[in-house]
Amino acid sequence: MTTRPARAKRPARGARASAFAVLLLATVFAGREASAQSSTTSRTVSGTPPRALFDRYCVTCHNQRAKIPAARPLALDTADLATVASDPDLWENVVRKLRAGTMPPAGAARPPGDEADAAATWLERELDRSADARPDPGHVPAFRRLTRTEYRHAVRDLLALDDLPKELDIELLLPADNTVGFDTIADALFVTPTLLEGYLTAARKLAAIAVGDASMPLIVDTYRTALEQPQDEQFADLPVGTRGGMRIRRWFPLTGEYRLRVELAGPLRERHELEVAVDGERVQLVPVGGPAGQPRASASGGEGDGLEITVPVQAGQRTVGVSFVKRTSAYAETLTVPFRRGRGLDPAVSAVTISGPFGTRSAGDTSSRRRVLRCGATASASSRSAGATSASSRTVGSADCARQIVRLLAKRAFRRAATIEDVHTLMPFFEAGRRGGTFDAGIQRVIERVLVSPEFLFRVEGGSKRRDGAAAAPVSDVELASRLSFFLWSSIPDDELLDVAIEGRLRAPGVFEAQVRRMLADRRSDALVTNFAAQWLYLWDLPARRPNDRLFPDFDDGLRQAMVRETELFLGSVLRENRSVVDLVSSRDTFLNERLARHYGIPGIYGSDFRRITLPDGSVRGGLLGQGSILTLTSYATRTSPVVRGKWILENILGSPPPPPPPNVPALKTDDNPKQTRSMRERMTQHRANPVCASCHARMDPLGFALENFDAIGRWRAQGDGGTAIDASGTLPDGTAFKDPLSLRAALVQRPERFVTTFTEKLLNYAIGRNLIAADSAAVRAIVREAFRDGYRFEKLVLGIVASRPFQLRRSES
Amino acid sequence: MIVTRRMLPRRTFLRGTGATLALPLLDAMIPALTAQSRTAARPVPRLGFIYTPNGVIQAQWTPVDDGRQFTFSPILKPLEPLRDRVLIVSGLAHRQAESFGDGNADHHRATAAWLSGVHAWTRTTGLEIRLDTTADQIAAAAIGRDTRLPSLELALESATSIACDSGADCFYSNTVSWRTPTNPLPAEIHPRVVFERLFGDGGTPAQRRAQMQRSASLLDSLTDEVARLTRRVGTGDRAKIDEYLESVRSLEVRITRTDAESAIASVELPDRPSDMPATIDEHARSMFDLITLAFRADLTRVFTLLVGREQTNRTYPEIGVPDGHHAVSHHQHDPQIVSKKAKIDTYHASLLGRFLRQLADTADGDGSLLDRSMILYGSGLGDGDQHSHHDLPVLVAGGGAGRSVGGQHLRLRETPMTNLLVTLLNRAGVPLEKLGDSTGPLSIEPLASI
Repeated sequence: MTTRPARAKRPARGARASAFAVLLLATVFAGREASAQSSTTSRTVSGTPPRALFDRYCVTCHNQRAKIPAARPLALDTADLATVASDPDLWENVVRKLRAGTMPPAGAARPPGDEADAAATWLERELDRSADARPDPGHVPAFRRLTRTEYRHAVRDLLALDDLPKELDIELLLPADNTVGFDTIADALFVTPTLLEGYLTAARKLAAIAVGDASMPLIVDTYRTALEQPQDEQFADLPVGTRGGMRIRRWFPLTGEYRLRVELAGPLRERHELEVAVDGERVQLVPVGGPAGQPRASASGGEGDGLEITVPVQAGQRTVGVSFVKRTSAYAETLTVPFRRGRGLDPAVSAVTISGPFGTRSAGDTSSRRRVLRCGATASASSRSAGATSASSRTVGSADCARQIVRLLAKRAFRRAATIEDVHTLMPFFEAGRRGGTFDAGIQRVIERVLVSPEFLFRVEGGSKRRDGAAAAPVSDVELASRLSFFLWSSIPDDELLDVAIEGRLRAPGVFEAQVRRMLADRRSDALVTNFAAQWLYLWDLPARRPNDRLFPDFDDGLRQAMVRETELFLGSVLRENRSVVDLVSSRDTFLNERLARHYGIPGIYGSDFRRITLPDGSVRGGLLGQGSILTLTSYATRTSPVVRGKWILENILGSPPPPPPPNVPALKTDDNPKQTRSMRERMTQHRANPVCASCHARMDPLGFALENFDAIGRWRAQGDGGTAIDASGTLPDGTAFKDPLSLRAALVQRPERFVTTFTEKLLNYAIGRNLIAADSAAVRAIVREAFRDGYRFEKLVLGIVASRPFQLRRSES
Repeated sequence: MIVTRRMLPRRTFLRGTGATLALPLLDAMIPALTAQSRTAARPVPRLGFIYTPNGVIQAQWTPVDDGRQFTFSPILKPLEPLRDRVLIVSGLAHRQAESFGDGNADHHRATAAWLSGVHAWTRTTGLEIRLDTTADQIAAAAIGRDTRLPSLELALESATSIACDSGADCFYSNTVSWRTPTNPLPAEIHPRVVFERLFGDGGTPAQRRAQMQRSASLLDSLTDEVARLTRRVGTGDRAKIDEYLESVRSLEVRITRTDAESAIASVELPDRPSDMPATIDEHARSMFDLITLAFRADLTRVFTLLVGREQTNRTYPEIGVPDGHHAVSHHQHDPQIVSKKAKIDTYHASLLGRFLRQLADTADGDGSLLDRSMILYGSGLGDGDQHSHHDLPVLVAGGGAGRSVGGQHLRLRETPMTNLLVTLLNRAGVPLEKLGDSTGPLSIEPLASI
């Protein structure tokens, strides 16, 4: 795209679009040819179909008369290599097996590695050629609604509202989306009356809070601390010199008085001091406990007395901190008392309830009022196009001013240029609101209406239609802007991106890549960690995991949070520092705090703050497979599961997930002699005894066994359950041997393109909101080849995805 | 029952007069089948469908003896005090939940088939998501048509607490309610949200009326916008925007339920729930309280509730089972693990028992709410260890307007579960001949109509 020559004149839309398509494809071709030449993995790229290889190694099983149970019979004896293009589903599958080395299976005669590679390369070329000849970007619905996460981010960016009170928590106001691998999968995003009801309620509440409607009802929110989070030490986000407590970042809807009710737990025989701070400034120091009749916590450790204070708070985003003044750090009973899950040995905060606003209420000066109630140039300082009208010509509070606000809201919310129809639709709501009240009330009604509009709630595509009968066409610039922002930010475009798209310059030379780089550098791209990666790695499931507290008494909420934090920081560093994604598997560094370092047995790290650690040589902790989060997520509550871990590696690193077990598999026989403790490996031998099970478990189980030294919460252990010996050796499906977790990691990245391909497929799947089809494999290969030249850096992969056919094009309506 | 006083859609009415905001209360807009028109002589039926995941320990669920003299099994023991109101049906099956060579998503298919009797195909490229309208939604369209909420879909567990293999169709286990063959309804887990859907979020009746008018005018303008939008985009690919439009229309009708105010006034409202309950016990109590209130005020007549989602690994430390539910359901006949699974099954049955007693203790006309309700309880998996869809755990609890419906264990020979669903709906006054793979109604004498 960067090679595209500048044009003197802007041609008509259709012509531009098709010119772009040609250029886009040309770029993709060029990249492919270049990288095919530079490919170092295949020494002998055969120019002839690999018939002989299939005849020698494959057709013994994969023939017309084969009785091997499979979802789809594969007759390689009769399959015609001259027409590979006519059955991409079948041949992409063959390529996958060859590349992963899963076929022919271990034990059977296997072709030398370079012969298998040559065969795969030949097939890939055929498939790529056919994919280029008939570009198929796959089908995504013309209307796809925002996911709940996207809606939350869109509200944040449209109204400058964040950290909403629980009363307005989008996760409560709207029902959960269905997750089919990723929640972005458009086909599974349904619209129901229940959801629309949620949208109506949310719109009403959000509009009121955005303008600071002084008549809004009282809001009462209770925030609880985790039952299994000791409060004996200082928390990272609370003042130095304090311990325990909690920090609440929250939007206060109006300026007024708020009541904070603090509930305490734990022993209060002695006197303690509780500090309450708003935005870091101490507003009260309250003595608790002791003999003087101060509020007391319950002796049982349950919910105790509460104490209530009233504080004036300015509207907007505020941070409330409640913590104990730390008395002495020499007090170290924690070292002598056996660890137990709980809130710790000292008194603790169990809950904080914030209610309000009381007293005289006013709207105050909030980021959201500044964003939605201002007319004039300041409303869009970063925007190139909005400077036309000077603020002086518009009186704040006038109908003209309202019209200007309406246009800006419509543009941002609907992600396109505002139209006169938008104004006609929305202004009656302003007028109705104003009749009954103030200017602000009018804007409030407009926001309500915008937030339930189908153009806000849905991403709409397909406005530009092809007349020349092509099967696929580029999406329009504004559609592309939304595709970018929802992929990289899980949110709406900002003014800069939108203006570039509206002006038709998004695909101009240099502009597209510059915008993508700018967006990746913006904090909003954290969504790639908190949304994409959290779903890919199931991180959002960790809060629901309850490792057995008898077997794992020191798994508490602090540890759980630390595990999630480590993985998030680690993923964030790959993203922010544009590292190679191969580091995800084999990194030499990670992020730890004291709690997690202790869990990993890494000395010398103190305090609750996370910091970057370069791991010593031979450390087993580098990469996702050494992280507590992944190791816990792939275990049961009571024990590890080599099967789950092995499947996880096959699916997420090697990209060759095992097929589901065949129906009606008989249960494993009961242990004949339950008194004799057997090792996990011994117990799993039954998987191999039955040939039907063995076909997959022979691939899964060894990978899982290699991680048996990590227990079900990711601690290192020398022995398995019941003191059994651990044998961590095994082989990859392609025969590469390993003997422990370290050599497993080395084996997994020996051919890094396998993992990079898998990662790219996941990211593309998430980005385009549909399951991948065979035609996408060609696009993925092109992206991976391009990224190879850049050391598989993250940014290059993202640039590859957003330039790819499935991202840039749309299937034409038939 | 023939309802003659059909409602005049508000939109039609507004169009006719050219009004945009005014909402005068016309007699023609009052639905015929409302609290006002209800009398003790014409009680309204209520239906509930409660799903328990991961199958059961069948040997401890199924009573050993049949008929009226049956002995309560260990798992069903908590229901013994309600003996006369409980009908246990053995031998029902969901053949459509079986694999048919379509992978091992037995858990997801079990939920999908439970009220539909339709096989949920694993969606491969190009295959659209499709099931069928489920029994509860057929009932909601008939007996729930004129209530504020045609039905309530609830769950005691959030969807995110289940690791869903990428690509698998886990959404099939997120709900048992499909409004149409392509529109699964989300199940709500937060009691506060349920409370607000039923009773609003506080404020005076006047504020609620003003809110309703505002919502009505919003909805009114959305229909026109959709029309403009689809004209502009000009696409044949309308499935998702049609879902939206149908939702708008459905809410427009619902929002004009002018009698909802008096219905709300007819019950004593508890405080609005604020927090997410910390334990399943509190959670169940809170949800059952809300259902009971909604039934009493006639704000809804149909509900579904997922006690948990299939494949859930919820742990139950409070009853001495710190292990994951799904993990113990694959007990492989280890007696210790079997007893853990049975404990969970028994605990779930005790939650049902508590709810049934609550319904029995709540007056409705000249009887109790339980008299006018039929509650189906069970699972789409029989033996969770084997993933079998035969010999499903099924029971029906409820009233029969004073007549006995229960007090027996009926043992059938391999019969489609959908036959029972057809029968249930018929007894509630919903005309239905066939559902999914049903072969006809069951002949159950004791299951009198309600």
